[in-house]
Amino acid sequence: MDFLNLLARLADLDSTTAAPQLAAPRRAALGRLGQAGTALLPGLLLSALSQPATAGTLDTRTRLDVLVLVRQLAALGNELHSRALGLVAGYPALPLTATEKAGIQVIQQQEAQRVTLFSQLITDGGATLPTTPRYDFTGSKNSAQTALYPDIQTNPATYLLVAQVVKDVAVRVYKSQVDFVRADAYLTETLLRSHSAEARHASHLRTLRRQRGVAVKSWVSPDDAPVPATSPAIAKVYEGESGFIQTYNASDASGQGGALVSVPFDSTLPINVATPPLSAEAILRKVAEAFDEPADAIVATNVAALFTY
Amino acid sequence: MSNIKQNASEEAEFAKPLYTPIKRRSFFMYAGATAGATALLLSGCDDDDNEIVTPNGTVNLGSGDVGVLNYAYALEQLEAAFYAQVKATPAADFSTLEKDYFSQVAAHEAIHRDFFKAAINRDAPGQIIPGLTPIFTSIDFTKRASVLATAKTFEDLGVAAYNGAGKYLKTPAYLVIAGQIVSVEARHAAYVRDLISPGSFADDSIIDANGLDKAMEPVDVVTAAQSFIKEKLDASRVGK
Repeated sequence: MDFLNLLARLADLDSTTAAPQLAAPRRAALGRLGQAGTALLPGLLLSALSQPATAGTLDTRTRLDVLVLVRQLAALGNELHSRALGLVAGYPALPLTATEKAGIQVIQQQEAQRVTLFSQLITDGGATLPTTPRYDFTGSKNSAQTALYPDIQTNPATYLLVAQVVKDVAVRVYKSQVDFVRADAYLTETLLRSHSAEARHASHLRTLRRQRGVAVKSWVSPDDAPVPATSPAIAKVYEGESGFIQTYNASDASGQGGALVSVPFDSTLPINVATPPLSAEAILRKVAEAFDEPADAIVATNVAALFTY
Repeated sequence: MSNIKQNASEEAEFAKPLYTPIKRRSFFMYAGATAGATALLLSGCDDDDNEIVTPNGTVNLGSGDVGVLNYAYALEQLEAAFYAQVKATPAADFSTLEKDYFSQVAAHEAIHRDFFKAAINRDAPGQIIPGLTPIFTSIDFTKRASVLATAKTFEDLGVAAYNGAGKYLKTPAYLVIAGQIVSVEARHAAYVRDLISPGSFADDSIIDANGLDKAMEPVDVVTAAQSFIKEKLDASRVGK
């Protein structure tokens, strides 16, 4: 951790008008974590300072923020799948095939397991769990507005579409969140392991949709049938996912500096995967498939907000 | 001008008595440095940290972030070579759809391999491991079951490898790019598993009671992959 970095980071915070009412609960939560005096504490306090400064962004999340976010996503998924399976009173099971049902049960159970894990990590750290939100997966906010998915509790196709979107956005957002917990090897590995489990789920849900005749691959592809943009939040889930150009920072070992360098997949790299050789355009479409893109937390929280009230 | 010259020479004269002790001191400095250099040389002979390929044919993946990148590059080489073979000699009992899907996966893995090659060559010139020689004699490429079983092994292993190596990466950009790749590997893994047995995309052989996927340490991954690679891989310093 270098001092200049810290200064840059503080300058970042100063130069923006962060809502103070948002910062206060976070500080209070940090305070509670401090009182608890658990093993989570030193890393948690350090993690706020030890991340490299990113010019122009205010997404300076603590480990608590990250845990609350991934718990929120797991809880939302758990409820979505539980209702589809008929496990929640008042929500009859969707007419899914036996095979579909078996796979969704696996997903639902693993969501529930992760809610338990993340809840425990939060409370072990001395913080309190957020209150359980009320869900409405039609997107009508309990009939306060026009439903986005009016038949989600009766039509498996609608349910599977929403399930895919929720999983794909989680896969994107995990990638950006790991960076905020890097100071903690346990949490880094826990998030990565949760992230790849999410990607397995997303793949399976896509396979189920394909088996129902939807033009969708098990991985995110420019060839997928577009997901209807029922709201701006849904449109954001796949925005930028068809990145044809992959870049990386030519950083030094300390992670500092370095311009973005794009990898010349279409020109100089010998990707001999087809006979006759693929066109440059075709190669770039494969590049888009070969990498899932990261997204900021807000992309997922906006999707979650559609289904909570 | 002359004044300055004179001053310079005066300074030189003035400094003279000090000159010898300084020289003696610097001699000791050099002596120390030489001793250090010799020690380095000896340690270089003792273990093979600085050599990518040792005389006995072991490929050293290296240390630190470069070690992790080389490790990922080695695994992507293995996967790319496997799927290239699957594509070149598809199993007779593959469906047209499966054939098409595996040619797509083959492209993804070749792209991952080439991405790491480009990244390592640019960020750590001279430290990239060579192209590895795969050993696929245990795989019957003519049989769907054999190909699927191997694909499952490789994809699950790749996911566990990335999950276990992330904590060793010090450069944030590398952690993000590893995340961008591992989720595609996990999507492949789930796809292949569902082909073998529908619904096995995330069964309890890979997902634990906390709902978490597997993570493996580099040395364990290399041990599991070694029988498919001719060169002996040394992952003992990866990320360290």
